[in-house]
Amino acid sequence: MKKIILASSVTALLFFGGCGNVEPTPAEQAATQEATPNQNQEEVIVVETETVPVENATVINEKAAVINENATKNADSNEMTMASLENKMSSVLFGFDKYNLTPEMQSKVSDHAKIINGAANSFMIKLEGNCDEWGSDEYNFALGLKRANTVKKALVAEGVNANRLTMVSYGKSNPICTEKTQACWAKNRRVDFKLLP
Amino acid sequence: MKILLTILLTLSLYASDATIEVIKKVDSLPSLAVEEASTYSDRTLKLKFFKALIADLNVISIFNVDRFHRENEFESERVLVESKDMDYVLKYNLQNNDTDGFILKMKLMKGEETVLEKNYKVNNSNKYMFVAHTIAYEINKFMGQSSIEWIKKKVIFSRVVGPKKSEIVISDYTLTYQHIIIKGGFNLFPKWASQEQKGFYYTSLNETKPTLKYVDTKSAMSKNIIASEGMMICSDVSKDGKKLLLTMAPDAQADIYLYDVSSKKTTKLTKYRGIDVSGQFMGENRIVFVSNRLGYPNIFSKEIGSDEIEQMVYYGKNNVACSAHDEYIVYKARESSHAFSKNTFNLHIISTRTDFIRRLTATGVNEFPRFSVDGDAILFIKNYKNQSSIGVIRLKYNKNYLFPLKYGRVQAMDW
Repeated sequence: MKKIILASSVTALLFFGGCGNVEPTPAEQAATQEATPNQNQEEVIVVETETVPVENATVINEKAAVINENATKNADSNEMTMASLENKMSSVLFGFDKYNLTPEMQSKVSDHAKIINGAANSFMIKLEGNCDEWGSDEYNFALGLKRANTVKKALVAEGVNANRLTMVSYGKSNPICTEKTQACWAKNRRVDFKLLP
Repeated sequence: MKILLTILLTLSLYASDATIEVIKKVDSLPSLAVEEASTYSDRTLKLKFFKALIADLNVISIFNVDRFHRENEFESERVLVESKDMDYVLKYNLQNNDTDGFILKMKLMKGEETVLEKNYKVNNSNKYMFVAHTIAYEINKFMGQSSIEWIKKKVIFSRVVGPKKSEIVISDYTLTYQHIIIKGGFNLFPKWASQEQKGFYYTSLNETKPTLKYVDTKSAMSKNIIASEGMMICSDVSKDGKKLLLTMAPDAQADIYLYDVSSKKTTKLTKYRGIDVSGQFMGENRIVFVSNRLGYPNIFSKEIGSDEIEQMVYYGKNNVACSAHDEYIVYKARESSHAFSKNTFNLHIISTRTDFIRRLTATGVNEFPRFSVDGDAILFIKNYKNQSSIGVIRLKYNKNYLFPLKYGRVQAMDW
């Protein structure tokens, strides 16, 4: 009985699958061999060389210079000044799925604007938008960019020349905190200030 | 009665609407045992091959595969006593050859009759999994199932390995084979440039502006395509590879653009002041995309050249990624909206012709859904308990399979 059921299910599979109800013999298989797209040359009698579908592509080494990395390395004192100024400009934080500034963050941006137009007035400023770990999609990159742009607008309103400001978004790919806590997620929804010579 | 039931269950296998869930049909599947007769010298590889083959035979979802490792001679038409009750027996013989690769002979037997016989040769034994995928492909084809061309396709993904550091990797669909094609720097959002998978686009964040680059996988030559202030992502490539949907943000304003590969002309397709991203081709003249124009991210569609926008999804308040194939859209929906605790993101599929919604995943953060070229399967990334995996959903069979990534987190992927 069991065999009948199994046999009928196999028959049903073949029949309703709309395919050959007659199973081809090995000889027929050999006769109807087709060249598959990845050139797996399969034959019943003679075995020929198969081209494996992944090319042996050479590994590319991207010149992974962070923007103007070399320029900062050339001048140690300059680098120290930049690092100490960057430390004074802590990240501006945002709410979940938000890109508007709270009053507290608004006053932080005002303080940063004073540094940018004061001690840091010889540098370009790169605003880096970031998101928490909830999503690595394009949407989050756009959200990170919106956050950077909010900060840019606030800085311009405080008198910073817009030409000195550049923006980039890293989505969730650049977390400063990787613990699974709410405090940590909140830290990652941020815009960082980086100085460029 | 039992026979009738079996036929009915088998019929449900062929439910044509992908949004209808197939509940149970395990009993109706024919059984399959695998018998090995290998003389190959490397025992580890033999075992790896057996495991890969069993996994592939499971993924094709048309057999009840017996996972027990059996050994038998290859040439005889006889199967082992313990395989006698099986509907099908797959025998194979893995042999050394004079290169670093191997020769594999296989035959599928029904009872004591050989119904399918194939031989394969690989010059590099590290690529054994592609032989397993090809065997599964051939058996699926022999059993008269719809084509699973995707099983032989390559997956390309970006993996974050540190702050602002990533790699772009080409792999098989199970992530067993991995070839790092770009390392160093911060390179994201890889996308195959055509269905032949001879080259790919990706976003480089190492330049002064985010830049879209193209790499030919054979020559490993790279060239710059287009750059934009703020954001530059290739979201989709048309079937013929001639048009791209890009997300660019020249004024910090993320919008979708159509890029013509030969003329290098860009056309702006969306102009909402909020966020418009993730454009996907849906047929020749239509795109679906993600926008926050209702105050939260959701899935919309529009015809190219028209200003009319149509909301596609009415379920979920945070739908941030989608993929389209024919009338179907698969999208990522946030199931909970805890700002400060763990959240679940599930994939759902809808048909533009009916009101049905089918949930495809249950736990963790499921993202980056990508339809296979033929719409038969969906590939996605699952992040669960600090580990990234690539998942395969067989829509027709209501089955999900997960293949974990050894290290790093998958940032984006294409198939």
